Amino acid sequence: MLTLKSASEKETKKIGERLGRLLRPGDTVYLYGDLGAGKTVLVKGIAKSFGIPEKEVASASFTIVAEHEGTYRDKKIPFFHIDLYRLEGGRDAWEIGIEEYIGGHAVSVIEWAEKLGEAPDGIRVNIEVVPGPAREIIIEGVNEKDWDNRKRGR
Amino acid sequence: MAYSRTPEPVLILGIDTSCDDTSAALLGLDGGRTDVISSAISSQFEIHKKYGGIVPELASRRHIEMIWPVVEEALGDKKPEDLSAISVCIGPGLIGSLLVGVSFAKAISYSTGIPLIAVNHLEGHLLSAFLEHTPEFPFIALVVSGGHTSLFKADGFGRYTGLGRTRDDAAGEAYDKTAKLLGLGYPGGPKIDALAREGNPKAIPFPRAYLGGSFDFSFSGLKTSVVNFLREQETIPESSRAGLNDIAASFQAAVIDVLARKAERTMIKTGIRRLVVAGGVASNSALKEKMSRMAVKRDAELFIPSPKYCTDNAAMIAFAGYHHYLNGEFAGLDLNAKAYLPL
Repeated sequence: MLTLKSASEKETKKIGERLGRLLRPGDTVYLYGDLGAGKTVLVKGIAKSFGIPEKEVASASFTIVAEHEGTYRDKKIPFFHIDLYRLEGGRDAWEIGIEEYIGGHAVSVIEWAEKLGEAPDGIRVNIEVVPGPAREIIIEGVNEKDWDNRKRGR
Repeated sequence: MAYSRTPEPVLILGIDTSCDDTSAALLGLDGGRTDVISSAISSQFEIHKKYGGIVPELASRRHIEMIWPVVEEALGDKKPEDLSAISVCIGPGLIGSLLVGVSFAKAISYSTGIPLIAVNHLEGHLLSAFLEHTPEFPFIALVVSGGHTSLFKADGFGRYTGLGRTRDDAAGEAYDKTAKLLGLGYPGGPKIDALAREGNPKAIPFPRAYLGGSFDFSFSGLKTSVVNFLREQETIPESSRAGLNDIAASFQAAVIDVLARKAERTMIKTGIRRLVVAGGVASNSALKEKMSRMAVKRDAELFIPSPKYCTDNAAMIAFAGYHHYLNGEFAGLDLNAKAYLPL
């Protein structure tokens, strides 16, 4: 488990990018945090590490699932940006078939993972608003060694 | 000229199931005349209201139930065989919802041999002003709704240039999310609009994201400011807290200032003095007032469709389809819906 601090959108984006470099096709990131915590900002960073232009990634609250084409080691992979904000939670999320977007060759990032109830295995990121105002970003499923070792991944 | 006008009258059935309304419309077009013969809509408002937003699975199920009756209502005494073409919205939108309309349109096309036309939802909104007006090209179009906030330059039918779009939340989404934070319920637009009329738009200086010289939009920071503001409010005595009216009015002013300023700057930069504002948020009363004042100041023509054509409707899909029809741009039965579909 890692605990990081971010003082700005820019820093949150950087953390996302760094996290993205540790991900491989098939990985899913579950994002937790209140409205305005910076979840979509973090997704922009993760997407960037797969060569997806920041501009292309906007809020996915409306369409629930936004599909982008990412690049991993010169290969095209699907990148799914999922936002469960509009959903009631519990069965709703599974009823829309989100398991279709998890695993395989795809990298998926799920905002409002709270709505899934118990999330399956994967990387969990919780963004908390702390006085400053700043953000405390807690990443579970990635160990400190990997985080610090920038040579690993891409 | 990108297309040639056909002299013979054309009858087009439009279908839109991109979000939470099942809609079908019949459009008669005869040279330059456009006649909305019918525009049937089955709203799912009551179904989604209790969830504070649209639940995709419920939406698709309801579309399946309503697509037949809505299309039948739109057709009236006309038969599918009378149609010149079927124009269907293929995206962007909720994938499960879009699929219902697309599959239905394909089925009619397959069984009757009537040509099928694919329309982008945004093109529908962009051209919705033509259902009641005849704006000349070129014009600037601001499409602003729950799912979109985009600026386009339209040089002719089918000739659109995207100038800017939201980098995060759509304007309508900012309304919905703020309304939820304020405990106002869903949908947020009309509720905030009504409350704002009683409030002071200058009470709280919420930020305006102009993003330098860019024509892109960002409403996520505004949402965050509202969150922060409400958090601070909790730490002060109730008697000195801001009223909901003032919060609503100040929030709304921040959204509208940005929308109007960007539209104005676009007109200045392109030298085009014709503006179309479309999409669900275009029926917001404060936005209309602000845009009207700005248009007068800029000596520009302003076109805002009436509310029934601002919100999702199939008449605009049929109209956009007509121009693909004239160009001979038809879709095959392998047509598919797309949740993400830039214009």
